[in-house]
Amino acid sequence: MRNSITARHTRRWWPLGLIPGLALALAGCAPDAELDTFQDQSETARQINELVYPVFIVAGVVLVLVCGALLWLAIKNRVPADKDYEGEFPTQVSHNNRLEIGWTLGPAAIMTVIAVFTLVVHLAINSTEANAIEVEVDGRVETWEPRVVVVGQQWWWEYRYYLKRDITTEDLGDPWNLPEADIVTAGQMVIPTGEEVELIITSRDVIHSHWIPALNGKKDAVPGMYTPWKLEADEPGVYFGQCTEFCGLSHSRMRMQAVAVTPAEFQDWVNDQMAPAVMPTDEDSAAYRGMEVFTNYCASCHLVRGLNHEDYNGAETVSGSAPDLTHFAGRTTFAGGVFNLYDPDGPPNADNLIPLNDDDLAAWIRNPNDVKENYADDLPEGALPRGMPDMGLSERQIDDVIALLAKLGPRPTDEQILATEVN
Amino acid sequence: MTITESPVTEAPLELESGAAAIAERPLGVLTRPQGGRGWRDWFSTVDHKKIGIMYGVSAMVFFVVGGVEALLIRLQLAVPNGGVLSADVYNQVFTMHGVTMVFLFIMPLAAAFANYLIPLQIGARDVAFPRLNALSYWIWLSGAIFLNSSWIVGGGGADCGWFCYSPNSGVTFSPSHGVDFYAIGLLIAGIASLVSAINLIVTCLNMRAPGMDLFRMPVLTWMLLITQFLLLFALPVITVALFLLMFDRLFDASFFNPDMGGDPLLWQHLFWIFGHPEVYIIILPAFGVVSEVIPTFSRKPIFGYTFMVFSGIAIGFMGWGVWAHHMFVSGIGPISVAAFSLSTMFIAVPTGVKILNWLATMWGGQIRFTTAMLFAVGTVAMFTIGGLSGVTHAIAPADTQQTDTYYIVAHFHYVIFGGGVLGLIGGLYFWWPKIFGYMLNERRGKINFWLMLIGFNLTFGPMHVLGLQGMSRRIDTYSAGFGFEFWNMVATIGSFIIAVSVLVLFHNIWKSKREAADLPPPGPDPWDARSLEWMVPSPVPEHNFDEVPTVDGLDEWWHRKYGFDDNGRVVQVATAAEAAQDGSAKGVHLPAPSFWPLVLAVGLPLIGYGLIFNLWLCVPGGLLVAMGIYAWALEPVDDPDAAHDHHDDDHDGDDDHDDDDDGDDDTASATADAAPAAPGESGGA
Repeated sequence: MRNSITARHTRRWWPLGLIPGLALALAGCAPDAELDTFQDQSETARQINELVYPVFIVAGVVLVLVCGALLWLAIKNRVPADKDYEGEFPTQVSHNNRLEIGWTLGPAAIMTVIAVFTLVVHLAINSTEANAIEVEVDGRVETWEPRVVVVGQQWWWEYRYYLKRDITTEDLGDPWNLPEADIVTAGQMVIPTGEEVELIITSRDVIHSHWIPALNGKKDAVPGMYTPWKLEADEPGVYFGQCTEFCGLSHSRMRMQAVAVTPAEFQDWVNDQMAPAVMPTDEDSAAYRGMEVFTNYCASCHLVRGLNHEDYNGAETVSGSAPDLTHFAGRTTFAGGVFNLYDPDGPPNADNLIPLNDDDLAAWIRNPNDVKENYADDLPEGALPRGMPDMGLSERQIDDVIALLAKLGPRPTDEQILATEVN
Repeated sequence: MTITESPVTEAPLELESGAAAIAERPLGVLTRPQGGRGWRDWFSTVDHKKIGIMYGVSAMVFFVVGGVEALLIRLQLAVPNGGVLSADVYNQVFTMHGVTMVFLFIMPLAAAFANYLIPLQIGARDVAFPRLNALSYWIWLSGAIFLNSSWIVGGGGADCGWFCYSPNSGVTFSPSHGVDFYAIGLLIAGIASLVSAINLIVTCLNMRAPGMDLFRMPVLTWMLLITQFLLLFALPVITVALFLLMFDRLFDASFFNPDMGGDPLLWQHLFWIFGHPEVYIIILPAFGVVSEVIPTFSRKPIFGYTFMVFSGIAIGFMGWGVWAHHMFVSGIGPISVAAFSLSTMFIAVPTGVKILNWLATMWGGQIRFTTAMLFAVGTVAMFTIGGLSGVTHAIAPADTQQTDTYYIVAHFHYVIFGGGVLGLIGGLYFWWPKIFGYMLNERRGKINFWLMLIGFNLTFGPMHVLGLQGMSRRIDTYSAGFGFEFWNMVATIGSFIIAVSVLVLFHNIWKSKREAADLPPPGPDPWDARSLEWMVPSPVPEHNFDEVPTVDGLDEWWHRKYGFDDNGRVVQVATAAEAAQDGSAKGVHLPAPSFWPLVLAVGLPLIGYGLIFNLWLCVPGGLLVAMGIYAWALEPVDDPDAAHDHHDDDHDGDDDHDDDDDGDDDTASATADAAPAAPGESGGA
């Protein structure tokens, strides 16, 4: 009765199935992957990788040993499955306490070693050694401890720079009414190279997570909390990021960049950003008409310092916030870092420079939900929108407001545009 | 319970009893249905085996539902900027995929094994509380159907992820009813698991056959027992969390709303204090299955039984001290992170012990690679990968890079699918002849295994690479140019290979059933196995054991077949056919069926709909629940007419330490083999 198993006798090299998996793990990462965690560009990211590389190796060795043992046992001890057992039973070993204590303590010892190195690195990446640097602001040299307040909301990041004062968590208070900052950008943060930049991360609605893989691990943006974290870039460059805590509808389209520039370039950037927007004066120009459109349709949510600074009350959205557009054209992406503001593939503009990506920009203004899903229209009664609503602008109005936005510079260089191009 | 007896002619509320009106009947109580045939039998059964089968069948149905959701996810992510699903639908689909697979597939599939096998493995006639067992199943099913009904009546599935972090789960951010269905559906399903956990714990502790000491219980029963303890303590935590969420959403409370002083991290702590033991709730049953299959097909006892049991217990305890590793980047302080990082690393130790003990069991064995054995060995290998990747993110600094990327998706699928699902499917192949009385075809079984192993590795292996390349979790789409294209396509192809392998499994079940007519029956012990369930006929008769066995040691059944000669060599002392029971006992006193668990369970989703749509609906729901409870209390613990002629097999009755005094009347009737059928005694026992 027993052993009545009906199976064909074939050689089974089942562990070969593991090799693809292993090969994949060892295949490493494509060189063009802009979010690749192994392409570390800062001391912190490097420390993390140097900690984890040996662990990957230890894990790989253990995996090979376990699977090798399984393979070896499978080949050596296999008897055909379709035959009754014949002959003697194997020795009925039931336990071996020494051996078992050994392979309880062995892994524990390995883990202890890993634990020690983990603690060292953990403490290192959670301490900050930010050095104050000198930045000229409004003609005065300020001593600035590099610190950026990072605020997440559905579905974009705001970066706030307080250059004239040392801002602390206590000063910040309520994230819906943060103290007025000297510089406010969206989607792209600019940092000086070689300096540890402290981040103070919070959120105005749901939980997000701020992650620039080349520079450091991630940290959640939790409403009601100000969480410290840091970034540092060795070299000038553009480092891509992505929100990594599920934050609702357009979570996948909530991206950001850290643009690291030399200290001198950083000073230039500060100078540009501190200036209010320059408003068009030619009454016949599209940009001038765009001012009226902006004032009528956009100004209740978006701030352009120099245009609606005095009237601005905060956005009528759940987060109470919409991107500051004062130097909109000085950035290279819009709508949460998912669209290029300039089109490197388009025909050069009148100044023989990379042209504005007015197709995508117009599509976005025409109906934001079409190109990046949000919850701004068709709301239940009394609900506040999340994201930008369809303002019902005519094509003429759209062209006009784009003409205005294009002037909210200064325009970045073509090199910057190419470096920050998003896919 | 004392039941007043007095002849009446009709019960006040008679359900389908199938029996002629009984002349003598206790006053004021209901009759109990008498099994019967067809659907009535299934709707009223309290037999742990039938309930186990119903759990298993329902779990497989939801496996298909969750699997279709998985395929939709993979289709959407096959290419950049995929257009199969909108972002909104994608978020619902990935949420419901996770919820379905965890709560409606793996947990009930493990419950199927627990229900079917625990009484058999410990030599009992049924679980301690048979009607509670039926109640667990029906409540679970009503919760599962309720949860999925949100696709139809709730405006779509929940869209907050299975982890449902607040405040994204609040009404402001998730205005459809999906999250309401999530909260109430899981509350209902949680009642089922809690009831079941208590029932099975009592069964393990009180219902063991004579001589079946705790440390003679098979490793599977041990792992399932630990699982029930984890459920017992973890479910109250998630219940509290879901209750608070429900109040936030339906009654404008502010437990998790930061605008009103609530704390979003409170949800995370509550969720993961449940959620991490949940991982072991999922994996320990599979560990148990592997611990039965590997010794059987290695022709050796499990190596280090004591270490296997205690490492399981250690996991059960340590599993409570690691929850915050899900929150390393949430903003909890660096000291907490360090503490949880260390505790997480050391939970790898007892798990490693298990893997090495399985290898040692195979060491020097005579290994037959049946389909069940292939699945078991595949489980060991795949779980090892999942465990090792787990160590890499126990390292908190590394986790800041890895968490919420596809690396984590890869990790937990290697643990839950590679460990849990492969192990349990191996268990299906192993116990199938015992449960259904026919063998699953081995050739198709092996095709099933290899397709599943290859498909699994193609699907989830590349996700390691994707995650380390920076692909975030829970994104409905990605752009070209990040290096994600190739491996996503591979993963999608792999997922369809898994789908084919599942179809092969279903085909195998159907075809083998048809072919079984022409094959000899498998007999009680087709695998030359080791534990007590193999000493009864296949399929198992309703009363399980003709005679409750007296147990002398671990692997009792094996020792009834084999002994040792003077030189310590194994010699056969009896064939399986000789040693097995033939299932011929008649009139064994079994708990009578009942419809009231089903009635009670139907009331709960009505209350759920009432809470969401119109509070008036709670009235019929509450009445049904109340009626179920009262009728349950008022029906006799046994049908007075069901005693029939008792087969007298009570000669070991004195050894039966689970005799009539353990407090539950159903228990008594399940185990007191053949109490004399004195009229009037059967009700009160």
